[in-house]
Amino acid sequence: MESVQRATRPLLEIKQVSRAFDGVLAVDDVSFGIDEGETVSVIGPNGAGKTTLFNLITGVDQPTAGEIFFDGAPLAGLPAHAYARLGMARTFQHGRVFGNLSVLDNVLLGAHSRRQVVRSRAPVVNLLRELAYGLLQPGSVKQEEAALRAEAEEILAQFGERLTPRLHQPAYSLSYANRRRVEIARALMLRPRLLLLDEPTAGMNPAETQEMLDFIATLKARGQTILLIEHKLTLVMQLSDRVVVMDDGRKITEGAPEVVRHDPQVIEAYLGHRHHPPANAAQDDEPVVQPATRLTIDPAAGVL
Amino acid sequence: MDSLLRTFADQTINGLVIGNIYAFIAVGLALIFGVGNLINFAHGSIFMVGAYVGWVCVTWWGLPLFTAFLVTTLVCALLGVIIERFALYPLRSAPPIAPLLATIGVSFMIDQAVQIIFTPNPQAFPNPLLAYRFQVGGVTVGAIDLLIAGIGVATAAALYLFLRFTQWGWALRATAQDREAAQQMGVDVVAVNRMTFAIASALGGIAGLLVGMYFNTVYPTMSFQATLKGFAAVVLGGLGNVPGAVLGGLLLGLIESYGVAIFGATYRNLFAFVILIAVLVWRPNGIFTNQRRTAPEPLTGTFIARSRPVHIPAWAIAALTVAALALPFFAPNPYLLQILTNAWLLGMVALSVTLVTGTAGQTSLGQAGFMAIGAYASALLTQRLGWPFELSLLASALVSAVIGVLLVLPAFRLRAVYIAIATLAIGEIVNQVILNWDSLTNGAMGITNIAPPSLFGWQAIRPHEIYWFTLVLLILAALVQHRLVRSPLGRTWRALREDEVAAQAFGIDLNRYKTLVFAVAAFIAGLSGAVTGHMYSYISHETFTNTTSILVLTMVILGGMGNLLGAIVGAVALTALPELFRGLADYRYLIYGLTLLLLIRFRPQGLLGTD
Amino acid sequence: MNTASLARTNGQNAASTNPLLELKDIDTAYGPIQVHFGVNLHVNAGEIVCLLGGNASGKSTTMKIILGLVRPRAGAVRFDGRVINGLTTPQIVRLGIGSVPESRRIFAQMTVRENLLMGAYHRRDRHAVAEDYERMLALFPRLKERLQQRGGTLSGGEQQMLAIGRALMGRPRLICMDEPTMGLSPLYVDRVLALIQQINTQGYTIFMVEQNANLALQIAHRGYVLQNGRIVMEGQADALLNDPEIQDAYLGEGVS
Repeated sequence: MESVQRATRPLLEIKQVSRAFDGVLAVDDVSFGIDEGETVSVIGPNGAGKTTLFNLITGVDQPTAGEIFFDGAPLAGLPAHAYARLGMARTFQHGRVFGNLSVLDNVLLGAHSRRQVVRSRAPVVNLLRELAYGLLQPGSVKQEEAALRAEAEEILAQFGERLTPRLHQPAYSLSYANRRRVEIARALMLRPRLLLLDEPTAGMNPAETQEMLDFIATLKARGQTILLIEHKLTLVMQLSDRVVVMDDGRKITEGAPEVVRHDPQVIEAYLGHRHHPPANAAQDDEPVVQPATRLTIDPAAGVL
Repeated sequence: MDSLLRTFADQTINGLVIGNIYAFIAVGLALIFGVGNLINFAHGSIFMVGAYVGWVCVTWWGLPLFTAFLVTTLVCALLGVIIERFALYPLRSAPPIAPLLATIGVSFMIDQAVQIIFTPNPQAFPNPLLAYRFQVGGVTVGAIDLLIAGIGVATAAALYLFLRFTQWGWALRATAQDREAAQQMGVDVVAVNRMTFAIASALGGIAGLLVGMYFNTVYPTMSFQATLKGFAAVVLGGLGNVPGAVLGGLLLGLIESYGVAIFGATYRNLFAFVILIAVLVWRPNGIFTNQRRTAPEPLTGTFIARSRPVHIPAWAIAALTVAALALPFFAPNPYLLQILTNAWLLGMVALSVTLVTGTAGQTSLGQAGFMAIGAYASALLTQRLGWPFELSLLASALVSAVIGVLLVLPAFRLRAVYIAIATLAIGEIVNQVILNWDSLTNGAMGITNIAPPSLFGWQAIRPHEIYWFTLVLLILAALVQHRLVRSPLGRTWRALREDEVAAQAFGIDLNRYKTLVFAVAAFIAGLSGAVTGHMYSYISHETFTNTTSILVLTMVILGGMGNLLGAIVGAVALTALPELFRGLADYRYLIYGLTLLLLIRFRPQGLLGTD
Repeated sequence: MNTASLARTNGQNAASTNPLLELKDIDTAYGPIQVHFGVNLHVNAGEIVCLLGGNASGKSTTMKIILGLVRPRAGAVRFDGRVINGLTTPQIVRLGIGSVPESRRIFAQMTVRENLLMGAYHRRDRHAVAEDYERMLALFPRLKERLQQRGGTLSGGEQQMLAIGRALMGRPRLICMDEPTMGLSPLYVDRVLALIQQINTQGYTIFMVEQNANLALQIAHRGYVLQNGRIVMEGQADALLNDPEIQDAYLGEGVS
């Protein structure tokens, strides 16, 4: 079950990461890695800890134990906005587009951390420079903006006729599926070394799901490294090089999709654990219901 | 030593009595916040109405004190129910900032109505208990002190029994703890909300009556101060925490009382606002709980309705600009020009608010504070250091930007409704510092004989000259801002407004862009304040008040949040219209309040749409 | 009606009697996102019916529609023959629908006793309420020990017991349970399921939303499977439990 020993250092490495909420472990000692060019999926039923893990990887939340490394460097202590500069781009489970901004502006914001004025690090001078650039808009800024815009339109064109006619419409006016597409376009605009997708097909109908699947497959074919968090097992079958299965906060297995698909542990994780009353009854120190005091309420006579 | 001890004891009693009254106000605010998740800016107005109702009962009708309390309680409870039903209930599914703004509108209307009925002048409130005073172990206690303490304890006990042992009390607590679960138990949460308003308003009214009796005077402007003091007490005790509000009120009263004894009476109001900011920033759950910070507001916090700006062609804007520039040739009416000059100056502030609130989503209720900083900076630079006006104007705007950012910096981590309260308190702090920093600002006297605006020898003194001067500044400010909001920087600001979490995920450093937006906004507001000072030749801590801040926010909502032309249209409409229709001038705040209320309800996107 | 309704009913004779609860052609949407597409289901008096489905299938929204917390865009909800969509939640509760909400939603600052009595908030028969209260104490000895403790200080399992007790205090004719076993330790999962089964044998009709199909189907009479807002399977619990198709419904739609 343990993945093969890798010669190269993984791009993202999760080492014995845990996250406890009030003593309850939402993520419990999870370890795995993603190599450059790989597509890895993390799957599991509702409440398995996928979203918590995703938040830990993307810096929205911090682990209570363990470490996460990106390209060999620990992520601990970095502010949330520093992740983009490292080359990590994410989507959100419920499609967090900038509602009142146009489709084009949404996608352009994906390139925020790539812009020249944002990349330079001098503290106060840099603030003034950004202000001056905004005000005066010198040639270099205009060129950069034009280049980014061309790139954004190119990315949007990859979705065919879905988004190109709507470049200047506010994102809130889009259909749900289109919002998800805008989110992915925005993430691609970062030119991410690692693309993190959080349930990219949640709430989509089968046709839209298939379309999204094809799109992600194209990205993968281009060599994009992808971490996919998914609920639907069948969806990740075609896409993933490796699948990590979580349940109850723990990694229960990891392996090739076909193997995972037929793993009885995985199926049980999804459909729920079978009832094992004898095992539990042994620890049971008190009866669930006191037999002597059965309810004698007559529901038909009950109301009012 | 003995006298020091006696002073301490006297100040303690004094502080507890005032604190008792703050506790009344705070409990009402805490109940409303707990049940309806609303910060009620009209609470001080109800408090003030309570004071006036009591005053009418005692001085006009000569009713006994007990009856006066009864009438006050009933009238204020009824007023609370009316406010809830007509101003707030219709907004129950609007973003949380909408009902907050509605309560500001209501408070404007109530305050002005009281002014119209009873005049703005303070009214003497003869203490019906006379001046019974007695000594207890060397400490002086008045009958009124005992009355306030007695009513305080009795009310707290009644409230406790009500919440603990009655059906409605349970419903109230259940609704405050989990609205949806309470509904599933069959609780009519709408009725509970209304009842909460009635109780809170009755408590506020009683507090007003007690304050009137304690200080022997009632006046319309007591309302807003009461609201702010109540907020400070509530925040101190933890938002929505009723016992915490009582403790917070008492503590605030004590702090003020000791502070006044040490620093002097003019410092009284400073303590509340510094505490308000400090607690909001460092202990957002109040000082009595150890909980981690409050859950972030939902992302619907900013008041930006989903709409697209109304398209106004460039030629129309150019034509309007030319017409405005040419107006003095065709209508050289000094009165008209003066009014429009005011509109241009407030228009600049409106631009700054529309930038920080509309574009970047940081609701600011403290913009007048930045105006005051600019005005004082320029007045002092020209008078004390003899700087030329041109230079001091720019320098003072820069000073406003720098100080403005430093003041708001600790509040950057706050969102939505909390940033609104924090900026309001910051505006108050600026005025309190001006009032108390005698050596620099000349304190309550203000600064007189400020030189008129001038440019390289040309002086703007006559109405049409100052008209042009301010109009050109406004146009410049609008152009600068237009360019900024259309740049990549403007796009980044909008992203901040729309979704802070998603913005961060794409590398947007929130603090950096909040710094930038507050700097630009404070710069423009400071510029306007500086010119205002030079135009009037006199400024004081009362020139730029939180009323101005709120008025400007109303202008921005009227024009459409984030909409530059809208900000200017809003400024002209709200400055000029009440003046042009002469008869309306006395009712202007009634009109402002009503405008705000109607806009939020029926056209939240404003006249020209949000951008 | 009374004795008949207490007997376990099955799908066949359900058609001949009026169901206690019926959802007919329900469409629901949050803004542009449609959650339900023509959902039909019913619950007969005396039954345990479970609504199964994976993540984001629309299960919880179904519960909110029955309780009047969300309004459907089209379709009707009938309770005992009467259309109830359009009524407010308190009105629906007074008609006899009790709720055990998702993640329990105990009033954290109120005592255990107050929480239980809040369940009877809409009742006016004080005497009977007092009797029911005594019954609850007998039924939940763990709660009886903690009557003056605040609800928020209970463990998750104890809170779930309290939530069920609170619902029973309203003497509902139908109890809606939203994921009653979610987040519980295996020990409490068993206790909760046994309790549900027991109160059902005493005449309570139960409609529960569950993610955990294996568990829910063990105690339910019938089940429905919701997938992407559509009912894709329905039937007797035993049949569903052994149907391989249910795996597909859970693991994702047929894109592979």
